[in-house]
Amino acid sequence: MKRPVRLEPGQKLVLTANRLLDGRTVWWREDGAWDLRIGYAVLLDADGAEAELSRAVEEAQREGVVGVYDTAVLPVVPPEPVTVREKIRAHGPTVHPEFAVETAQ
Amino acid sequence: MSVPVGHYQYDRIDRDFLQARIAEFEGQVKRRLDGTLSEDEFKPLRLMNGLYLQLHAYMLRVAIPYGILDSRQVRKLGKIARRYDRDYGHFTTRQNIQFNWIRLEDTPDILRELAEVDMHAIQTSGNCIRNVTADEYAGAAADELVDPRVHAEILRQWSTLHPEFTFLPRKFKIAISGSPNDRVAARFHDIGILARPGEDGAPLFRIFVGGGLGRTPVIGEELFDSVREEHLLATLEAILRVYNAHGRRDNIYKARIKILVQAIGVEAYREAVEAELAQMDLERYRLTPEAVAAIRSRFAVPLLEAPADADAVLTEQRRADPLFDRWVRSNTHVHRDPGHIIATISLKPAGGIPGDATSAQIGRLADLADAYSFGEIRITHLQNVVLGHVRKDRLRELWLGLSEVGLAEANIGLIGDIVACPGLDYCALANARSIPIAQKLGARFADTALQAEIGALRINISGCINACGHHHAGHIGLLGVDKRGEEFFQLTVGGQAENGAAIGTILGAALPEDETVDAIARLVDCYLGRRESGETFLETLTRLGHEPFREAAYEAV
Repeated sequence: MKRPVRLEPGQKLVLTANRLLDGRTVWWREDGAWDLRIGYAVLLDADGAEAELSRAVEEAQREGVVGVYDTAVLPVVPPEPVTVREKIRAHGPTVHPEFAVETAQ
Repeated sequence: MSVPVGHYQYDRIDRDFLQARIAEFEGQVKRRLDGTLSEDEFKPLRLMNGLYLQLHAYMLRVAIPYGILDSRQVRKLGKIARRYDRDYGHFTTRQNIQFNWIRLEDTPDILRELAEVDMHAIQTSGNCIRNVTADEYAGAAADELVDPRVHAEILRQWSTLHPEFTFLPRKFKIAISGSPNDRVAARFHDIGILARPGEDGAPLFRIFVGGGLGRTPVIGEELFDSVREEHLLATLEAILRVYNAHGRRDNIYKARIKILVQAIGVEAYREAVEAELAQMDLERYRLTPEAVAAIRSRFAVPLLEAPADADAVLTEQRRADPLFDRWVRSNTHVHRDPGHIIATISLKPAGGIPGDATSAQIGRLADLADAYSFGEIRITHLQNVVLGHVRKDRLRELWLGLSEVGLAEANIGLIGDIVACPGLDYCALANARSIPIAQKLGARFADTALQAEIGALRINISGCINACGHHHAGHIGLLGVDKRGEEFFQLTVGGQAENGAAIGTILGAALPEDETVDAIARLVDCYLGRRESGETFLETLTRLGHEPFREAAYEAV
């Protein structure tokens, strides 16, 4: 079982997953849909994240996503993941600028 | 029947099996998409068909048995890169190719495309016997004693869907070479096999067991010195049975055969294998000369004809063109036929991504293979490509053709010939990015004259402890580690995968990513400043010890 994310002061949580059909990285929006752009991710406090995470995991198959989990971000616009791994998931591989992912509209 | 040069020609049974397997997987994909199968249920099924879920997309790993392809297959890989990926293929450190941008629902169609050219992705993942790798110069090198491809194919057939070895404690990798110069890293495989001719001319097999890299790097130990051909399969079967029965399944980090061999000792392991052999029906596993001949007949032999002055033509062309001469020095190897030469095509352009090729480059490689090497291409475990049988008087034409598509880098075996895993830019297991460091190092040492001056020096980079970039075996090795979300690199020196196999020694504390390239440049400067005439990096390291290099690497920290 995944260990709970330890938040530093000023950090928030977002939910993320991969799309079942094509594996693309997606982020949990406030309306419960999944979006390719981290700019649309809903920011959660540690207290509220657990219930949202359970709901997202429960609905994963119906929503066409796999591997739902939470990760820490800085609450800027768009939210900036704390770890290199999640930054790369949010922005795309660093070695192909042409494959960069849009983070907002 | 048109039989391809260099690899085995499938028959109807092989092709029918592939179609049945694709139909089965297509059904599994449908059931996953409609929710009948959960991800936990589906994951082992997709992995058995080479399909991983990475950071941004699915990744499909396609098997290239013993690293050999024909041009028809290469064109198909180019088509898949163009149509189903984002126009790239990535050649791996196990002679396979990976596509990093695959859609799950496309996968059955891709497997059908592969099957059209007798290819698949079976056993490129999972706890089974993986793709058998072999010497990239097989059947061509002047120093070869036994052509390992026929036995590699026999091992492929034996290990494919072997019912007893489909759920081993952990993955299992076999490499085979027939040269006294180990070019397959035999001692870093679960089983490494070195073939040589016996007194009667029949091959004998020296077998190493329990080698590996990863979290616990171990140099394989010799289990048997001279296994006869007729007992090769029985011996391997017995080795696998002992591992399957006694390998640990309670801890993934202790599950490889190397841990078992280390735990009980190679003598005890040998005794267990011999006990297994003693109770086996050896006749059932006997590899007869007729069976070997039947497999050999499904390989075409290239007709090696060259003009009498082929060597003289090449000599003159080298004299007249220093750039070409530099490429010949670093990127060719002596062929068994005096009119031919082996050409290694670097997939390591300065500042580029090691092992990557665009669909246009892949297609061009197929054309050049048709024009210059009997339509045959080999993939190396060092992420390069080999044309095995090039006429010497046509080598410059090939080089010019490679130049047109950016594939004429003169750096094989030099510091620019960097081996790197995909790292954190793609891989779900990685802790750090391997490719950007490789690109920075490639750019830092881009000058091919400088590379030639530095001489033989291999850099291997892994983005995590699983060591897909074989960092333990690099003359200089880099291991990416995560320190509170930041990338650091641990440096090792002195590793090598060839005859004098050695595991690199850690120099000191891991360095921040932005200090790593400078540290390696100081290591190289230390070597250049203190080497004696003709000394390689490894020889200087052996003579001086690690301390001067450690001081150089950390002097600015």
